[in-house]
This record gives sequence, C-alpha cells and structure tokens, in this order.
Amino acid sequence: MTDTRWVGRSYETAPYTVTEASIRDYMAAVGDERAGQSLIAPPTYAMVYGFDAFWQLWTDQEVALDVAHLVHGEQRFSFHRGVRPGDRITTTGRITAINPRGDMELVTFELQSKDERDEPVSDATALFIIRKP
Amino acid sequence: MKAMLAAQDFAQIRPGQSLAPLNKRVTVEQIRQYAAASGDRNPIHLDETFARAAGLPGVIAHGMLTMAFANQLVTDWLGDRSYLKRLQGRFAGMVLPGDELTCSGIVASRDEEHRRLVVHITVTNQRGEKVFTKGIAEAEFPAQRSENHGA
Repeated sequence: MTDTRWVGRSYETAPYTVTEASIRDYMAAVGDERAGQSLIAPPTYAMVYGFDAFWQLWTDQEVALDVAHLVHGEQRFSFHRGVRPGDRITTTGRITAINPRGDMELVTFELQSKDERDEPVSDATALFIIRKP
Repeated sequence: MKAMLAAQDFAQIRPGQSLAPLNKRVTVEQIRQYAAASGDRNPIHLDETFARAAGLPGVIAHGMLTMAFANQLVTDWLGDRSYLKRLQGRFAGMVLPGDELTCSGIVASRDEEHRRLVVHITVTNQRGEKVFTKGIAEAEFPAQRSENHGA
C-alpha cells in the first residue's frame, strides 16, 4: 500500500520544446497522419509534452509505486488551445488521491500544462490502478 | 492515406448522428513506435517476459494509444484538431498485439448558443468486448464570421 502522506506531492517538467519532428513521430505512431494547412498536434499529444511528470512519479523512490502492477484506469483531458511547433510547455503533476478499493489501490494524478507566457495549454487527470501482486 | 477533410458544418449536425467508425489493428511494431514517440517505455508494453511475470497475458498496448484512436475518431470527423476541447474515458479492457479495434461515436448533445457538441465514444475489440468505455468528447466550433469579414 502506498503511503497516503504522499498526497499533495508534485513534480514539474523542464520546459518541453515542441518540434515538427516530434509531432510527426507521434502522428505516425498512432496512425493519425492527416494534416491541415498548419501543423497542429493531435490533442492527446499532451502525453508527450507532459510525459516527464508521469515518469518522475513512477520513478519516485520515496513514493515507491508498484509500477509493475500499475495500469492506466481512466484519463481525462481539457484542451485550452492547439499545440504547434515552437511551443515551450511546462507541466506540473500532483498526486491528489491515494485510495484503496477492494484488493486494489487507486492513485489520482492531476496535471496542468502551461506555455512560455504562463497561459494554460491543457489540463489532465490520470487514474492509475495498482493491482495487488 | 486520408486527404485533408473539410471541417464539419455545425448547423448540419444533429444529436443521435453517428460518426464514421475508425478501425485500427494494433501491432507489436505500433506499440514499440508509440513507446518511442511518447517516451513511455514501461516494460509491460515492450518486454514479453516482464509482462508475463507481472501477471499479464503478454505485452499490452498503452491505454493512451487507445485514447489516441478515440481522439482521431472525433478530430477526423470534426475536420479540425483545434475544435476538440475535452476528452475522457475509461480503459475497460486490455489491448493486445493483433487486436482489431473499432472506435465508434455518436453525437449526444448540441448546444446552439455556445456552438458546442458532446460525443459519446466506445472502442470495442474483434470479440465485441469494450476496451474503452464512458468515452466523452466535447468540441467547440469557432464563432461564425460576419458577412463583412475582411472588409
């Protein structure tokens, strides 16, 4: 069982500079390659610029989540604007809940992503399910 | 390959309308490519031995890959990625290499004043099992241009 005292712990990413190559890699990986007149990332590209916040959580040795038994249960996003090459995005992720449910544990992680002018780009909430080994 | 699509006309959309379904076949190669592009190299997605030791049937696809398909279902239909304002859902079942997924959506409601739409989304596999449920997307269409635009 993860210690509930970690509720409130937060992680901030270094600024992520969006490149055309990284958007195109993502589009090719998910098979969403339709492009408009200007290149706007698929909204779920939020996982790319925000990923380091997840990584910091999963590798935090003090919180010590059992990542081998962790699955992504639910996800929600709010998108405030389209993301384009040249954007510099910083994401802060915060553990907002750790709850047991039956023989599982639910961990809620909330993320906010902002651009270089401190304007919101997207918000997200991830719910992780940790199965008992 | 799909050509550029014209944006949907908000005035023509009606609740109850279905979106054109999106079909995806998930492969080991695609899961690897997604891991590289997203940075998520958790071994449950890449290492067969590790995945089995963790109690899984083998490597599984990232939930976020399925959500990317749900995203594409809606934005292909909308014709503009920047219209999508909200996307959520539940990863209800594992997706394994070889699975053939069908993403379907239906317009649940339409708000004339705010030019917003809510679409309900489900993703099922080749056995009809739901792998993504309670999918909700919300889109906002830009305000209509005035007739004297560009005077």
